[in-house]
Amino acid sequence: MTSAGTELAIPAAAAPRPQLRALLVEDNPLDAALVVRTLIKDGFDVTADVVQDEAAFTKALRHGCPEVVLADYNLPTWKGMETLDVIRREGLDIPMILVSGALGDVNAVECIKQGATDYVLKDSLARLPAVIRRALQEKLERSLRHQTERDLARKVDELARSNADLEQFAYVASHDLQEPLRMVTAYTQLLAERYRGKLDENADKFIGYASEGAQRMQVLIRDLLLFSRMGRTEARERVECDAVIKEVLQTLRSAIEQSGAVVTHSALPAVWANPTQMAQVFQNLIGNAIKFRQEEPPVISVQAEEAGQQWLFSVRDNGIGIAPEYAQQIFVVFQRLHARTEYPGNGVGLAICKKIIERNGGKIWMESQAGAGSTFKFTLPKSDTEESTRIRS
Amino acid sequence: MKTAADLLVIDDNPADVSLVREALAGSKHRSRITSVGDGVEALAFLYHRDKYVDAIRPDLVMLDLNLPKRDGLAVLAAMKASPDLRRIPVVIFSTSQLSKDITRSYELGANCYVSKPGNLTEFFSTVLSIEEFWLSFACLPAQGE
Repeated sequence: MTSAGTELAIPAAAAPRPQLRALLVEDNPLDAALVVRTLIKDGFDVTADVVQDEAAFTKALRHGCPEVVLADYNLPTWKGMETLDVIRREGLDIPMILVSGALGDVNAVECIKQGATDYVLKDSLARLPAVIRRALQEKLERSLRHQTERDLARKVDELARSNADLEQFAYVASHDLQEPLRMVTAYTQLLAERYRGKLDENADKFIGYASEGAQRMQVLIRDLLLFSRMGRTEARERVECDAVIKEVLQTLRSAIEQSGAVVTHSALPAVWANPTQMAQVFQNLIGNAIKFRQEEPPVISVQAEEAGQQWLFSVRDNGIGIAPEYAQQIFVVFQRLHARTEYPGNGVGLAICKKIIERNGGKIWMESQAGAGSTFKFTLPKSDTEESTRIRS
Repeated sequence: MKTAADLLVIDDNPADVSLVREALAGSKHRSRITSVGDGVEALAFLYHRDKYVDAIRPDLVMLDLNLPKRDGLAVLAAMKASPDLRRIPVVIFSTSQLSKDITRSYELGANCYVSKPGNLTEFFSTVLSIEEFWLSFACLPAQGE
């Protein structure tokens, strides 16, 4: 090894010995030799550079790739602790162990606080090999941990990007699809208006089908756009579900009156979410309970109870219910269980609910029997709410 | 004195231009409608360049944003930067409902922003309302002043 300072290379022994490149910061050659001898005696195959000042230290650091720095605390022209500044400046992670004469306890603690890995007194050098082994082991674990963290961060990043790409795609696709579709809708409508009764009966029927199809697709695309927008993270705040449900019942007033529905709710907690999105969840669930009713007027009950670290909400109705085999399917976007003529809708509502609840750290599911009403349940974590309550109070 | 107003529709979609014509066909204003299909053509028309030496000066411009060559915002910016053209009211008529498009249009001096309705009936009534507002209700500077 060629570098600044004295070279103290020791030939490797016959048995495989752990190699160690050490950088010694030491003004006393006898002390340096003692350190090296201690390490060799303990089985290390040591290559050591010995330097005394910052310039030589920096050079040795750059060219010698040391695995450990062993620094004297007091030097004639430098201070052992300042090696830490150089190591940091060079962007390196190398353990620095102070090997020093008298070093008071308070001072030693201070040095470790400032970043020294450990310290060994010159009159108890026998500790040094074990200290070095531990420092190297810690460094290895540290770098493995960093590697794992970096890998994880990269995967999280990739996943977030691919999710964002997908949402962007859905958004752009639905937005750009609207444009040509607008032409189809407008011109089939124009045909229907201008030429009704002027062609033959079939023509009127065909134009009608085309026009209806195009208009339905417009609604589908609008809902898809709504669904893809829901994926975007909206600002969250403390949301009083009691207030939200009052608003929702107001919005649904005409549907409630027309169906003669009776909607009751218990006291509902505050959650940490986006108010518009929470309103959307309640509106979709209560709206469904009204829509999928039996002959008798709907009776709908909204409850919330504590369940460990979660709030458990439920929306129960006496409607047509859902066979258990469809319990998962209903949350998939554009999934419908009924003909459009029986119950209108696009199958987007529950998919939106699922997306919102999951984005807020909860789960949503359905418990039902066909013909016996259904209960939709969802959870939302409590902790955030409590925390926000504390912060805000 | 002019008998009918001149409306310039800047839109690359002939189907949309045709819908505007259909919408205004029965209107009492009997506006004359001229259309151009991209931003470069639009500016040539407005500046009476090349084949548009004898082009009329429109009383109202309906401008789409998504145009070939030079987009609607570039046309708008050029018009509003010109002392001569800036007095002509420009109605942005686009499918975009993005707030950045709307904000940018007003920043550049658009006189109003209307998004194209998807439904034929609404489309017709919107176009008629635009014509009615700008050519009946709004007071505009006299030509040549």
